Amino acid sequence: MEDDQANVSHGKEKQASVELPLHWSEWQLLDSILPTGGFAHSFGLEAAIQARLISCPDDLRTYVIHILENTGSLLLPFVCTATMSPDLETWHKLDRMLDATLTNEVSRKASTAQGSALLRVAASVFTEVPSLKKMREISLSFGDVAFHHAPLFGIICGLLGLHRGTSQRAYMFITLRDIISAATRLNLVGPLGAAVLQHQIAFVAEAMLKKWKDRAVEEACQTSPLLDTVQGCHAYLFSRLFCS
Amino acid sequence: MAAHRHREREREMESKIEAATGKLVVKKVGGKSTVTRCFSKYPLKFIIPNKVGSSETDAVWVYTLTYGGGIVSGDSISCEITVADACTAVLTTQASTKVYKSLGSKSSEQILEKQIFRVVLDSSLVIVDWITSGRHESGEKWDFELYRSTNHIFLEGDQPLFLDSVLLEQGNITNIAERMQDYQVIAMVILLGPKLKQIQIQVQENVRRMMSEQLYLPSTGLRPHGKTQSDHFLAKPSFVVSCSAFGPKGIGIVVRIAAMTTESVYRFLQHQLAGMETLLGVSPYS
Repeated sequence: MEDDQANVSHGKEKQASVELPLHWSEWQLLDSILPTGGFAHSFGLEAAIQARLISCPDDLRTYVIHILENTGSLLLPFVCTATMSPDLETWHKLDRMLDATLTNEVSRKASTAQGSALLRVAASVFTEVPSLKKMREISLSFGDVAFHHAPLFGIICGLLGLHRGTSQRAYMFITLRDIISAATRLNLVGPLGAAVLQHQIAFVAEAMLKKWKDRAVEEACQTSPLLDTVQGCHAYLFSRLFCS
Repeated sequence: MAAHRHREREREMESKIEAATGKLVVKKVGGKSTVTRCFSKYPLKFIIPNKVGSSETDAVWVYTLTYGGGIVSGDSISCEITVADACTAVLTTQASTKVYKSLGSKSSEQILEKQIFRVVLDSSLVIVDWITSGRHESGEKWDFELYRSTNHIFLEGDQPLFLDSVLLEQGNITNIAERMQDYQVIAMVILLGPKLKQIQIQVQENVRRMMSEQLYLPSTGLRPHGKTQSDHFLAKPSFVVSCSAFGPKGIGIVVRIAAMTTESVYRFLQHQLAGMETLLGVSPYS
């Protein structure tokens, strides 16, 4: 057990298949086809529609931008720190902190659901990084690890050898990807319109990234209290498509 | 470059907060919750009435005031409060704190608030924290540059229980008014502790019932151009509230509110917290 922990804490995994450029793993990690259950979450969009906060395409665009800003301010610090120190101790500390930081029950549960699924998939897929499986097994046996999404995303990126700049941009990307996907399923926009919107917003997302990247977790804050309040209403929806 | 300047300014603010500290300690003395230590610096002041409500209730009421009744640019406020085992404390303001514009400077106000609570398993804690957009009747809506309110609760020493920090900052991509839409008040209520279990259950149920009536699928899709006119069914709710449990075994709940009027928030608080009279000696917001 102690040896395992020592190995896991070092995080100095070298890729077994050195010939494979990082792009393959990176792109697979960001592909929406990776079965991490992201499709079950709307980032409060469904609740916002039922609260009539979104009544035209401009509203949708504004909503997505505000969510991205909140992702930057609240979650990027966790992704960043985890990528820089992808070890068990750091991960558990970030997980505990984020559990206390995600005070919105809806988003907290969404985070643990997505994080658990992500780690399970990553441990099975990226077998050249055995510490993923080991960290998962140890943490399951502890019983009090929440498996929050943002730190785990950072850990996995770090162990794969991705730089923190990449992992933070990637996290913004998958957030944008998932909200746009939710918007199409909620009939707010068609598939082509969604693709157009996603590219337009990419410029804004990059600006958000530049503003919020590389910060300490102690600085994490939320910037959209209205959306946080509305997302918290998700559990009160009579009919819903999404979990959050 | 902008990011660097922003971080420098934040560090400056942080050191100001460390210097301007309010401190309170509540312990059992002679079997009653008592303030055993009370310290505050300008612009913060604590007022602790000797008796609030009946003498059977064991609760300490602490009112925070800012000198002059308001905050001006350059002020920093931070509080550190320690509540010992099986004690009850209530911290609130006597009236709403007003943020004043400095003369001659347009919207250059930066306000940072940070409150750290260290509790133990038996403690009960009630926090009500809210901000309004300004004199919204006169058109002043979220017109300040930066407001940051941080509330941290730690359990049994250093276990993070509740870490919340709300930042409202005018940005070049998004401004505050746009993020708030037509809502003029943001509020947060925290109810923590075993003594508050019944009220927590009641509040959760009330909030659920209130919002279930307010949330429904609009029958039409998105309009291609502009917003609709005053169609009642498509109007936003004037009061949005949600409730989340937090902490081990859900020992706490946090209620978040976005409202178009301050009156509606007062009414809500009055109604939801009325049941606390037996615990606190007085019904809050009555």
